[in-house]
Amino acid sequence: MYKWLLAIRYLHTKLIAFFGIASVTLCVAMVLVVVSVMGGFLDTIRARARGLHSEIVVDCRSQQGFPYYDEFRAFLQDKMPGVIRLSTPAIYSYGIVRVPANKYTKFARILGIRLNEYVQVNDFGAELHYQHFYPGTTQLSPQQLPVAGVTEDGAIRLPTDLEAANAVWRRHAKDHLEEIREFDQQPFAACPYPYVTATQRGDRVYSVHYEPPAYLDAAHPGAIVGADVLFDRLPDGKFDRYLVRGALLSLTTQALSPAGTLTGEPPINIPVRYIDDSRTGIYEIDSTSVYVDFDLLQHKLAMDPQPLTEGGFTRHRTTQLLIGINPGIALDTARDAIAAAWQDFRASLGSEVSADDSMALSFVEVFTWEDLQRPFIAAVEKEKWLVTILFGLISGVAIVLIGCIFYMIVEKKTKDIGILKSLGASSSGISALFIFYAAAVGFTGAILGSALGTVFVWYINDVQDLLARLDPALRVWSPDIYSFDRIPNEVKRGDIVWIGLAAIVSSVVGSLLPATIAGRVWPVEALRYE
Amino acid sequence: MSKVILRGRDLHKSFRMGRDIVRVLRGSSIEVRDREFLVIMGASGSGKSTLLHILGALDLPDQGNVEFEGADLFEGGDRGRRVFRNRRVGFVFQFYHLLPELTVLENVLAPRLVGESGWSWFGARRKAAEDARGVIDRVGLAHRLRHRPRELSGGERQRVAIARALLNHPTLLLADEPTGNLDETTGGDVLNLLSELNASGQTIVMVTHDPKVASRAHRRMQLTEGILREVRDGVEPRGINPRATTKVVT
Repeated sequence: MYKWLLAIRYLHTKLIAFFGIASVTLCVAMVLVVVSVMGGFLDTIRARARGLHSEIVVDCRSQQGFPYYDEFRAFLQDKMPGVIRLSTPAIYSYGIVRVPANKYTKFARILGIRLNEYVQVNDFGAELHYQHFYPGTTQLSPQQLPVAGVTEDGAIRLPTDLEAANAVWRRHAKDHLEEIREFDQQPFAACPYPYVTATQRGDRVYSVHYEPPAYLDAAHPGAIVGADVLFDRLPDGKFDRYLVRGALLSLTTQALSPAGTLTGEPPINIPVRYIDDSRTGIYEIDSTSVYVDFDLLQHKLAMDPQPLTEGGFTRHRTTQLLIGINPGIALDTARDAIAAAWQDFRASLGSEVSADDSMALSFVEVFTWEDLQRPFIAAVEKEKWLVTILFGLISGVAIVLIGCIFYMIVEKKTKDIGILKSLGASSSGISALFIFYAAAVGFTGAILGSALGTVFVWYINDVQDLLARLDPALRVWSPDIYSFDRIPNEVKRGDIVWIGLAAIVSSVVGSLLPATIAGRVWPVEALRYE
Repeated sequence: MSKVILRGRDLHKSFRMGRDIVRVLRGSSIEVRDREFLVIMGASGSGKSTLLHILGALDLPDQGNVEFEGADLFEGGDRGRRVFRNRRVGFVFQFYHLLPELTVLENVLAPRLVGESGWSWFGARRKAAEDARGVIDRVGLAHRLRHRPRELSGGERQRVAIARALLNHPTLLLADEPTGNLDETTGGDVLNLLSELNASGQTIVMVTHDPKVASRAHRRMQLTEGILREVRDGVEPRGINPRATTKVVT
């Protein structure tokens, strides 16, 4: 019993113990921060990867796409009605996006999607900027430039449908006053058109022409642009949206024939209007992707029926078929069932399939979203454990430090050891006293380190923002380097528990040698010690 | 004549100091009788404390044996000696040797805390606290229960040490220069306390180099040149120099 009593008292009264506690605290905090950030990084990648894809992806793995996808959709609905929730085709292509207003160009991954279906098979719709503030107004159909104007009552307003959509958002966001205030500071960016006048910054609408609110200029298909494609990130994490909603963009791409050859046509130019920007949170996606209407892209890439020299037409083609499955069905099971269905479907096509189409169909494979992201996730998982082990090894220094500190404590408490032995304490009891003391140091350090690490992780983005405000070069988590714009800041209870236990065990391990030495102290020698 | 409770026979003890061997005890023998107040005198460095440590099973002799109530103290192994130190003997040291982190009450409770295992302590703690308060009251420090040693005077600290030594009702109290670190008045108070304890039946073996202190005892022994001899009233042991200390053999 004296072991715990003295261990706790030593903890309270010995200054040297605080050095031990401080070292354990810092190590626990360090490992917790690393594990939380890396674990959060991994979890976010998983969540975002899941949100980017549908549960099942039928991918042709070849740029010219595969035909019969609508027939396969019907086949699936017929054969697997309990499994298939929804399916939608998507085309992946590559090209260049250009901003005519400032002649800026950038490489782009051009995706053709059916927006209404696409947002139902993944989380794409959740992070659309203007869709959030003007629900229902983000469409990929042809659109004009919306411009604010002066209404009959003298107020400055956007076109009626946008004002109505914004009113819907305001009703839903009425409890989020800060968000409304921020929105009203800059709802639409300054518009670089000669007939539009910028009002004062901070007015709710400050790109305005002094006519009634209207849609101006020619209609062009809408395009959703990855937020990092066009806009720079500000130190506060927001984007500098210098383009007005509805601004003209130009996409340039190249069509391939069903055989995968260039069609011989000049590069295709697709004028579109920037209608919204998306933010999946994965930089590689947000810095390259431009989303346009599926039918538009299919047509521009000549993936819709094209006349054949021998007569007849090619078939519609897509590069992917995204499939949402019903809840409760295991992904792997669904993938295997759909893969089997694909083989049945191909067999059912018989000899009517052309040689080029047959070749394209042979490239098709069925994946789960995890299959598609597995190499990346596995690499990050390895990275997480590697970094954790490295920091764990660094924390091994704490064990040595605890050993040194306890050696000093044993030296300092030699007389106490003699007193306790004169009272009948055993060698193992004396050793246990110092082991309990180390456990108490480890426990206290684990509690303090967990608190410190947790608070640090919670506010890690604020710390970074503060540093970036002081000097942009101090921004350590750059979205140009890492996949996410914000540092993951979630701490798991399980991590706190295992790191805390490891700290206690490490402290005990560090104290074993000094504790053994303490136990072997001869009582008379200890009592003579002054 | 009362029975012998502790008997040391032909005790030898040497220490190595660098290249020298210091022969501290060279065949000392001693008998301690029940309820007696025995003083061992000798010059500083003569080996008094070493003898006391051996008698209290804190140290082992190089040669010779110690019997306590007829049983060899060193045959029971480490466990036997620990139990002996915890239950049968109480130590009072010159420098008090209190645990500075503990209060007076906790210091006095220490032998019971050491002697009881974790679970048995929960059953015994109330009785232990009562006993501790009793002995603290007996040494006149009932008002200092919650104080730490650093908050006490030298005399008070020594009283706490005596209270601690008495907690388990030891058969034998071994006191190593208990007044050596105290002024005359305070030392006198401590001696009075020891005399009272002895009068109430406590066997005490005290080591001192001070003849005045030694005069309180029933019986005195002189340790000189590693040999222990009985001192009769007014008669010095023959053939020895009372100031002689330990012989060094090189």
